[in-house]
Amino acid sequence: MIRLHDVNKTYPGAVPLHVLKGINLEIRKGELVSIMGASGSGKSTLLNILGILDNYDSGEYFLNGTLIKDLGENRAAEFRNRMIGFVFQSFNLINYKNALENVALPLFYQGVSRKKRNTLAMEQLERMGLADRATHLPGELSGGQKQRVAIARALVTNPDIILADEPTGALDSRTSADVMDIFKTLNRDTGMTTVIVTHDPNVGAQTDRIIRISDGKIITEA
Amino acid sequence: MKTPLFDIDNWKEIGATLARNKTRTFLTGFGIFWGVAMLALLLGGARLTTELLSRNFEGFSSNSGAIIAGTTGIPYKGHAKGRSWSLDLTDVERLRQSFPELRAVVPIFQSWDNVSCTNGSYSYSGSALGAVPEYVEICTPLMYSGRFINAADESQERKVAVLGKKIANEIFPDTPDPVGLQVELNGIPYSIVGVAGNLGEASINGKMDEKVLIPSTTFRKAFARADRVDFITFVGRDGVRLRDILPRMRSLIFRRHGIHPDDESAAWTIDISEQFEKIDMVFSGLNLLALFIGVSTLLAGIIGVGNIMWVIVKERTQEIGVRRAIGAKPRDIVTQVLCEGMALTVVAGTAGICFAALVLGVAGLVLSAERPTDVQMSIGLAMGIMTTFVVLGTLAGLIPAAKAMKIKPVEALNSK
Repeated sequence: MIRLHDVNKTYPGAVPLHVLKGINLEIRKGELVSIMGASGSGKSTLLNILGILDNYDSGEYFLNGTLIKDLGENRAAEFRNRMIGFVFQSFNLINYKNALENVALPLFYQGVSRKKRNTLAMEQLERMGLADRATHLPGELSGGQKQRVAIARALVTNPDIILADEPTGALDSRTSADVMDIFKTLNRDTGMTTVIVTHDPNVGAQTDRIIRISDGKIITEA
Repeated sequence: MKTPLFDIDNWKEIGATLARNKTRTFLTGFGIFWGVAMLALLLGGARLTTELLSRNFEGFSSNSGAIIAGTTGIPYKGHAKGRSWSLDLTDVERLRQSFPELRAVVPIFQSWDNVSCTNGSYSYSGSALGAVPEYVEICTPLMYSGRFINAADESQERKVAVLGKKIANEIFPDTPDPVGLQVELNGIPYSIVGVAGNLGEASINGKMDEKVLIPSTTFRKAFARADRVDFITFVGRDGVRLRDILPRMRSLIFRRHGIHPDDESAAWTIDISEQFEKIDMVFSGLNLLALFIGVSTLLAGIIGVGNIMWVIVKERTQEIGVRRAIGAKPRDIVTQVLCEGMALTVVAGTAGICFAALVLGVAGLVLSAERPTDVQMSIGLAMGIMTTFVVLGTLAGLIPAAKAMKIKPVEALNSK
């Protein structure tokens, strides 16, 4: 599903910063993996590249067989929209839109009709057990509920992979466990390829495989 | 997303973002509202003022003038100075022949004393005027009923009269329309053929309302005037500048009457067109000033829109990042920002136009209570202002939109 071959990334500057030093990585379809590393290890950069949010300098990145390299803004946006479902640490819901509208937003950018959008979004909310919160604004939801709305939003386009950036970072331990259960259930029941970036060993331990990154290199692929 | 302008969801999106910060949206909108209203009010107000002022001259030919005999100031050809002289019908005829530039030359005969106009026990003393049918070329009267003096009245020396509105009201208080009835002028009966008043405030020697007009031929008999003319009025053809021919007209008349060519006091000449030119300049100045102030206010409003869009983009950097991350293309973001500016401009601008139209309408009603005027803002003006505003409002969003477009999803997400 994901194949990285000798991917390098340097941030230019007075002192150029070589953050990713020849990353080789393979994640198969249906895997639930975590990427762990200290801050400054390059894991966020790696996530950005996996999420087509950032470009890399050399190497190759194949997502579901498609070479993701030097894409224009429009192509990148289209790929992100169709292939990737994002889940962020701070949820990143749009706070003046209700839960249903937030979930439906990626479909809006696909040009899906309003009716269909709302039907699909409602299905995802039901799946997350939040059907009764559809018309609530994010401010009226708890942290766990917000993250479930965000997961619903990530799933609504039926993407190839879910990329989660510290999805439990802003949650207490109980809701963290709930959210992790959701990821595990999704992975088990639908075979959703899921990549979770975290520094929490408990989260890492619940995944099939932990990819450790340190100083821009992958050190273990357990 | 093919045509965001006609996508209801797109507009819902815009409505939601604008409704998010109501105070700010309102204040920005008010800036535009005020700009549009000021521009429309100033332009409309200038038009209204022009209209009201020009109404004073309504019915009065703008390219007209008059010559009135005075007393000589220079001894000439054996005559001492201080001699009085009179214009006569031969002068009128000479002017007609020698000056093809003139469309009409109209002699005016005026009674020196007031004439008593009598109907039974009602009486009113007004001034009588001997008029030729061409009189209307100089000063078009407002005919309330009946007709003006015509060529047949003139040639047959008919005893007919056109009554001024005020006289008619005074001596026929119970008759709405006295046309066809008789009026006695100094005891001699005349048939009333018309009732007239002044169209504007400008007039020849007193308002039409308080005059009674009879055919000049009849007048000359009744008041024993022979050929003597009180003053001569004339209208230039289109494009003729009266001031260019006035000196030649004077010298033609002066030669005939044995007056020194340079005698300034021997006759008064009046050139109405000069007055009109001055007034026209005042009008143009007024319009220009209105345009300048209005456009300045408008620009201030537009800059306000650009400014607020900039703030909105800054403030929503993260939101834009999220949208980009979940699949919004740069074009989607630009469209959104531009449409927000446009929506704000259209709504506030329309309100401004409506407000200005309302104010102008009320002002017009109040100022022209006695006679309705067309003071409403023209559709063309309203549309022009609106179009300018929407175009500028959209353009004002361009710089913020360009900035929004440059926001990379990853940067935005990091600016937590």
